[in-house]
Parts: sequence; C-alpha cells; structure tokens
Amino acid sequence: MAHTKSNRLSWWMGGILLSLLLLLTISVFGADRPIGASTYVPYLAGVIFNLDPEHYTYLKHINNAGAWEGVMLLGVLFGGFVTSVFITKTFRFSLVPSGWKQYKNNSIFSRLSWSFFAGFIMVIGARLAGGCTSGHFLSGMSQVAISAMVFGGVVMATLIITGRLFYNVKGT
Amino acid sequence: MNEIVFRTDGEGFLSRVFQMIQTVIDQGHGSVALVFLIGVIFGGIVQYARVDKFEKIAGFAMLKDTIVPKMLFLAVGISSIAIYFMVEAGVAHYHIKPIILPGLIIGGILFGASMAILGKCPGTGPVSIAEGRIDVLFGAIGGILGGLVFTLFYDDIFKPLQGESLGKGILPNLFEGNEQLSVLIFGAVIILIAILIPKLEMEDEYEDKDALR
Repeated sequence: MAHTKSNRLSWWMGGILLSLLLLLTISVFGADRPIGASTYVPYLAGVIFNLDPEHYTYLKHINNAGAWEGVMLLGVLFGGFVTSVFITKTFRFSLVPSGWKQYKNNSIFSRLSWSFFAGFIMVIGARLAGGCTSGHFLSGMSQVAISAMVFGGVVMATLIITGRLFYNVKGT
Repeated sequence: MNEIVFRTDGEGFLSRVFQMIQTVIDQGHGSVALVFLIGVIFGGIVQYARVDKFEKIAGFAMLKDTIVPKMLFLAVGISSIAIYFMVEAGVAHYHIKPIILPGLIIGGILFGASMAILGKCPGTGPVSIAEGRIDVLFGAIGGILGGLVFTLFYDDIFKPLQGESLGKGILPNLFEGNEQLSVLIFGAVIILIAILIPKLEMEDEYEDKDALR
C-alpha cells in the first residue's frame, strides 16, 4: 500500500528541534526567558479593545510577557504560513476538519460554534492556571516545575475524558 | 462596577502595536528580530511536524493519534536535563510559575476539555489559522473575548479563584542531596515514555489520501 503522506517531520525530529529552540530561547545567549503562548491573548484583547492598561491590574501584570509573546505570535503566523505554502504544501481554506466529520458531525455551524465556545473557555482556563501547553507543559516541565506537573496531569486526564465523551469513538 | 475603561489619549490601533514592539525592546529579553525569529522557527517546526492538526490533538484526546505526546515528551525530556545543567553553568535561569492549586486544577480542567473540542492550543492555533483553517479563527475570536473577560473580572473573580501560591517549587527540592540525580531520572523517564508510547496516527482525508485506501 503506497502511503503518500504530506511531507512532514518525524515526531522525534520535531521533538529534538523543539527542544533546541527552547534551549536557545531560555539561555542568556537567547531571550533569557521560556517560550509561552497564552499571555498574548489577553494582551491582544487589550490592544484590540483599546483598554486602558493603567486601569486593569491584570494588563499591568502581563504587560512585558504579553508584548513579548505578541511579537513571537507574529513570527508564528509568518513561519506557519510560509511552511504550509512552500514546504508541506498543506495550505488550504477549510471550515470543518476531516476528523470532526468522521467522529462528530458534518455541520459547519456545529464546528464553528463549538470552536468559538472552546476558544473562549481555553483562554480563561490557561490564564487561571497561568500557562498553556507551551508555558506550562513544554517550558514548565522542562524546568522540572511542580506547578507544570500538576497542570500537565490535570490537562492530560481531562483531555482524554473529554475526547471519550464528546466524540463518537466507540462505534467506529 | 466593571465598566470598560478605554484609553483617553486618542492613539490609534497602529500606535498600540508600535507600543507592543517598544515594550519588547525595553524589557531586554532578546531583540525584536530574535523574538520574531523564535516565533518563525516555532511556527515552522509545529507546521512541518503537522502537530497543529485537529487529527493530531483531538486525535490524541480520542487516543487514536499519539504523535503530539511523543514529540512533546521527547522535547521535555531532553530539555529538562539540558536546562538543569545550563542553570548550574550559569548560562540560563529558571523561570518557575507558582503552585496555585485551585488555579492549576480548575484552569487545567477547562483547558483540557476545550483543547479536546477545539483540537488546538494557544501555541498551535495560530499555525492552523496561518494555513487557512477558518474554524480555528472562530476559536481565536472566542479566545480574545475570553482574554477580555479574564481581564475585566480579574480582581473580582479570577484572582480569588486562583488561590494562594504554595511557592515556586521544582522537583529537585523534594530530593535534597540528590538534586542532579532526580533531574537525570526525571528526564530519562520522560524520554523513555516518549519512545514507549505506541505510535498511532489518525488519517486525514486531505493529507493522507492514498493511505485511506
């Protein structure tokens, strides 16, 4: 059987490269801080809605980290776009992932409204915990932080329970 | 009580973006070019490994795809050992997040459940948007509103909900006298888990066409 998968990195090559990027970023020769990817969200909300940072404790609290991740985010969008167009050739506009069609439903409305709702809850959850997959799981566990191990354990368990309850996985 | 307070200096959106860049220049955590480049490489690795796909992340939630945990555990295992020795050598510092148990547990439950449904997280979501996934854009709009709500109700609801910090503990604190060994074992076990997790992949009708037949 001929597999013609899209051009992609193996999991171990991806893991090694991600590790090297984290080591560069956290070292004093790089940025002397870990990688994080959820503080930019409330920061951008402040920028988009023109909130007064002097009035909000939280915006003052995240000013530096939010701006740093905001600039990183611009790079992520650029890097993701260029790689999808020129290397993996997987750029295409789509509304419903094929896995959603297979294990949930074919409704565009369902996918878009669940996405909106999940995005809302995700950011509240990440900010409550003080980090996300990047800040807690990747960067935090790599710094052998207890907080990251607690978060990682809770996320893994909830992720798998939700996957079992939310999708039709048993009948297939 | 929680009315939204706008800025009164009358500056436009673009000037607020320039202010973001200025903040990065002023804080001394790498030049703007370096921070942007870190983002480009991060986005490139995630896209090239295809771990931002719904089938990879929601697929893991359904236990039908294990590429994400294999890659993430390997990265954590290698990095945990390397960073420990980099800190000892003085070429890196630990930046530990506080142990706020209610925040970590409630936040972790909300985060895990929404990650299974969206099939993205805040790091991989932007990559999916950059490759044209419109559904994830809706997730991002929801996320921005979530960030707004968190900011507006931080003092009254979310900060009290996070609870008190139990400090910024790290694993070696629990193994006094065997600090190095505890980190080496932790890293080795995590790498071993990455290798031992059976490799499962959920196919995608667009990118794995022939594999489906």
